[in-house]
Amino acid sequence: MMNMGTTPFEITINVIKTILVFLMMVQLVPILVWVERRGSAFIQNRFGPNRIGPLGLLQLLADAVKFLTKEDFVPDKGNKYLFYAAPIFALIPASIAYMAIPMSTPLIVGDSKFLIQGFEVNVGIVFILGVSSLAAYTILMAGWGSGSKFALMGAMRAAAQIVSYELALGLSIVGVIMTYGTFNLSDMIAAQQGALTFTGFGSTFTAHFLPNWGIFYQPLGALIFFASAFAESNRLPFDLAEGEAELVAGFHTEYGGFKMLMFFIGEYGHMMIASGLFATFFLGGYNIPYTTVQGVHDWLMTTFGLSVDGANIANTVVHFLMYNVKFLILLWIFIHVRWTLPRFRYDQLMDLGWKTMLPWALANTILTSIVIFAASQFAF
Amino acid sequence: MTDAILFWFLALVTVCAGLSVILMSNPIYSALSLAMTMVGVSALFVTLGAYFIAGVQLIVYAGAVMVLFVMVLMLFDLKHEIQAFTRGKITGAIKIASVGILAGLVVGAITLGTKAIEAAKATEAVAGKTYDNNTMSLAQNLFLQNVFGFEALGVLLLVIAVGTVALSRSRGGTHARD
Amino acid sequence: MPETNILTTIGLEHYLVLSAVLFSMGMAGVLLRRNLIVLLMSIELMLNAVNISFVAFSKFNNNIEGQIMVFFVMTIAAAEAAVGLALAVSIFKRFKEVNIRFFEHLKG
Repeated sequence: MMNMGTTPFEITINVIKTILVFLMMVQLVPILVWVERRGSAFIQNRFGPNRIGPLGLLQLLADAVKFLTKEDFVPDKGNKYLFYAAPIFALIPASIAYMAIPMSTPLIVGDSKFLIQGFEVNVGIVFILGVSSLAAYTILMAGWGSGSKFALMGAMRAAAQIVSYELALGLSIVGVIMTYGTFNLSDMIAAQQGALTFTGFGSTFTAHFLPNWGIFYQPLGALIFFASAFAESNRLPFDLAEGEAELVAGFHTEYGGFKMLMFFIGEYGHMMIASGLFATFFLGGYNIPYTTVQGVHDWLMTTFGLSVDGANIANTVVHFLMYNVKFLILLWIFIHVRWTLPRFRYDQLMDLGWKTMLPWALANTILTSIVIFAASQFAF
Repeated sequence: MTDAILFWFLALVTVCAGLSVILMSNPIYSALSLAMTMVGVSALFVTLGAYFIAGVQLIVYAGAVMVLFVMVLMLFDLKHEIQAFTRGKITGAIKIASVGILAGLVVGAITLGTKAIEAAKATEAVAGKTYDNNTMSLAQNLFLQNVFGFEALGVLLLVIAVGTVALSRSRGGTHARD
Repeated sequence: MPETNILTTIGLEHYLVLSAVLFSMGMAGVLLRRNLIVLLMSIELMLNAVNISFVAFSKFNNNIEGQIMVFFVMTIAAAEAAVGLALAVSIFKRFKEVNIRFFEHLKG
């Protein structure tokens, strides 16, 4: 499953790369917190943090120092082991799942090939879904370990919500898997290059004004995936787990200081996984719209007169930037939705998950399979 | 060599977690250890080359079934258990002895059985099925040869869903009407 | 047959013995514990042990059928867990405990 390379040089590079991807994820969190706070202030017509550093950017640093200097305590009625274990476990599934998302075209220098992701998993989707579904434990551990009613209630809600919406999330991806016929995320991205082309019914249709993105094949799947991604990462409008008005702060009511920060990183990590997966499934991953990876490579070689290796490196960098543009736009949508929509009631949330999203996801699956079958069997 | 280290490590993790499932007196610790066992078993599936099964194991067992267990246990909030283990020293000893005998029998059967398998392998060449396209061959087998069992499982799940709802809606359930 | 080191060469036997150990532990749990939910969890442990041996046989015999069986076992385990937990919840609602000795009160 994991190909860490054959020569010591490749193995070293791959190990460093894995650590680098993890650090990237962790380092993105303070920036996202800043964007979230400034963005919410912008939406609500106030200033937000603007005192420390330019535009308040150093606020994050001050926050980190504050978090580190806080007292490390355990509630009297809580369970010490679970209370300490929960924040640590909150980080692990999020970071492992995030590492499996490809971020750019493989970097080929000479004979060596480096994937721009933590590690490649052949059944990438199943792996990411499986690992990120482990996040429910950290929430339950935190809620129960706190020994507080509010924390336990919040944890119960959050876990029930995650398990319920995982069904809709998984079923909305089935359509994508059937369309591309693979579990591998890199293959999926490779299938989304160029302009929108549809082969079936004995002929090929091409729409040159649209990129070949999954969202045009699976609009319903994209909608369901997007909505349940919000529920999976416990964000508004589905953040019943927190529900400040009812539950103080949900499962992390009793947490403070650095442990709280780790929960934060876990939550933002799930947001990043959802954004990355949405970009990969529906927005063409790291592909630049209307062109192919090879096309960009050739263009770089002819326009700037680069060698093959140089063009490869430039190609990887360009696609990495493209991926990040999509990724950050999606993250901004997450943040914008949080400060725009009100919260659901809990029964509404469960009704939406089980009675609306699940049937529509099933319908999407059946419809997709019928179309694929018809396209391969019949010709006009 | 690497796969040997991996196997021994995973075996250690799985066995320790499995032991703590049955030895912890707090059921919540038991449930969390069982979740750990599930993750270990999933990793063992990976070492066996069954990637898709490993993912399904993570999603179904660790992600759904065990979360259900942990949730129910936390809802009960059993701080201390009055009677965690079986009563009576003699019956307990008999039970442990029977488990030991079972373990011995199984291990003996394995050592005998694998010799038989080796012998069988020596006589007939193993069919040259490859594991390259694991998931696809799995799906083809499931939907072409075992489609009846698959459909039967669907019916079973439907029955179970209806039964569970009926059970929890009856008097004394969480959705009690009285 | 060449002599192989049991520590460094992992074969079918290793997985089968591990599976047997886990199965025996699950059985010990079923026999020794009195908490209904822990009993259910022990049964899950036994099913998992069986799954390991299925996948190991599938790998070492080059036959995909073993993995199909794992699918079926997983589905049945999930179904069994759902019903078992529903029963446990209804027992808990009555007796405020989930000990196995209350099961006889379920009849009638």
